[in-house]
Amino acid sequence: MPKEEELMACFNRASPALVEILSRLISVERPTDVDHCLYEFGSVKYHVQALALEPHNIYLSVSTPPLSPEFLLSNGLPNYILHDIKNMYSDVVELIIPPKEGFLLTMKVDVTKFPNSKDDRMKAITEISSIQAAILCLQLKDMLWNLDSQDKTIAICKPIKLVYHPKEPFFVVRMTEKITAIFPMRFKDNSDVVIATSFFQELMDVGYSSACAKAPRCTWSPIPPQELRGESFHHLTTNGGFVSFDIFPQHVKGAKVDKTMWILLNFYAYVKHYVKCTRAFIQRKMRQRLESLAEVLQKARIGEGEDHKTLGIASRKGYSCVKKVFRLSKSKIFRKKIQTMRWRIKVKRLYRFRQRWFKIPKFSSFRKYTKLD
Amino acid sequence: MANSLRSYLTCIRNTLDAAMCLQNFPCQEVERHNKPEVELKTSPELLLNPILICRNEAEKCLIETSINSIRVSIKVKQADELENILAKKFLRFLSMRAEAFQVLRRKPVQGYDLSFLITNYHCEDMQKHKLIDFIVQFMEDIDKEISELKLSVNTRGRLVATEFLKQFI
Repeated sequence: MPKEEELMACFNRASPALVEILSRLISVERPTDVDHCLYEFGSVKYHVQALALEPHNIYLSVSTPPLSPEFLLSNGLPNYILHDIKNMYSDVVELIIPPKEGFLLTMKVDVTKFPNSKDDRMKAITEISSIQAAILCLQLKDMLWNLDSQDKTIAICKPIKLVYHPKEPFFVVRMTEKITAIFPMRFKDNSDVVIATSFFQELMDVGYSSACAKAPRCTWSPIPPQELRGESFHHLTTNGGFVSFDIFPQHVKGAKVDKTMWILLNFYAYVKHYVKCTRAFIQRKMRQRLESLAEVLQKARIGEGEDHKTLGIASRKGYSCVKKVFRLSKSKIFRKKIQTMRWRIKVKRLYRFRQRWFKIPKFSSFRKYTKLD
Repeated sequence: MANSLRSYLTCIRNTLDAAMCLQNFPCQEVERHNKPEVELKTSPELLLNPILICRNEAEKCLIETSINSIRVSIKVKQADELENILAKKFLRFLSMRAEAFQVLRRKPVQGYDLSFLITNYHCEDMQKHKLIDFIVQFMEDIDKEISELKLSVNTRGRLVATEFLKQFI
């Protein structure tokens, strides 16, 4: 049975495949040439290279599509993002400029600088493996920079279209006091729409409760919100309505910003995971119910109940007798008794009794014939 | 149990009790064949008038009787979209496993959610009153199960929504 962590792998910042490859490469004793190229979610590409000539270095290249068409990354990542990445991984990573052809970023990971303890090493590997998430969050942070800086002069109300998963774009509207993230929800199946809609309603209700008063306000509407006026018709046609989150400065302050960005980027995946799990939950419940419903009809069969009753008692009786005999045969007393019984038993007047009652009568058959002389 | 539901189920029980007097009857059209007349409807003299018992517009039960078979069709209440989806899923699930219930029809009669077909052979094989008990209990359980499912889906949704929003705090 898969662990909970494995099930929720899609929400992890670190790429599980990259974690596996890096930890193997770091723990390997004899250096060999390794060249791995892997894709995630169809559009994220990683290239891991280790050379036998350079046993202490691992080259990791990443390519990820831009979050927004407005945020073109034709010449690699902007300098300020590179600077942030450099600060994040300054201990063990060195950035290679320019990056490898076809990639956004290439890093040289120094194996010798990894911490000795297993847990710390694993932590460092996980951090390096979450490079794609870091790039995305930095891009998004860059787009929404003005919110936290309190620079209210630059207030853009035009929605920015962000594409994290292809076919599932969402919009971010930057305002003076808040950011509004709007998710047009589309589902393939009608039952998924109903399950997701009930979830969105719960999300709205919970948002108004005191327990989640500090969380971003969530609203769901079947029609497009006002902020999306002027967007193309294609983006405004949905079957699951529109979910919006109002992000205020307190939600993007300090270390919270990365978490908030990552939650928003994965909202689609979260809803889809919920719908999938709910369907499985319903199926499980129905399966359980089937047995109890069928049981009633089984009892309706003529003689079914009584037969079971009598059979049950009989079988139980028989079983207990067998058990008794088995136990008795093992006991020492029984063995001794058997030994003593091997002598011929003499019963008084048995012979006479046999003569009287066990005498086989002589029958004369009708078909029997007598030989004539 | 609500009074209206009790009277609805009692009415169905009594009707079934009266209607379920089936006997072996060979087909009049095809020699050496024995088919449920309620399905074929080839001879009108072998059919009785169908009885429709309604609790409301959304919940009704149609009982069609013939000499050797009886067909009971049920329409289950579906108050909102979620109940509608749950009822559809559950009844489809049961129909696909119709072999577990000997009397369940794989395809319901048009306009109904679920149909049972009881023949004289079923009556010979099973006790009549227990068969009626099964149908009435089945109807009762389906309603209960759909309500429970709806409640648990909503509760689950609320828990997940709380966990999701707590991530921001």
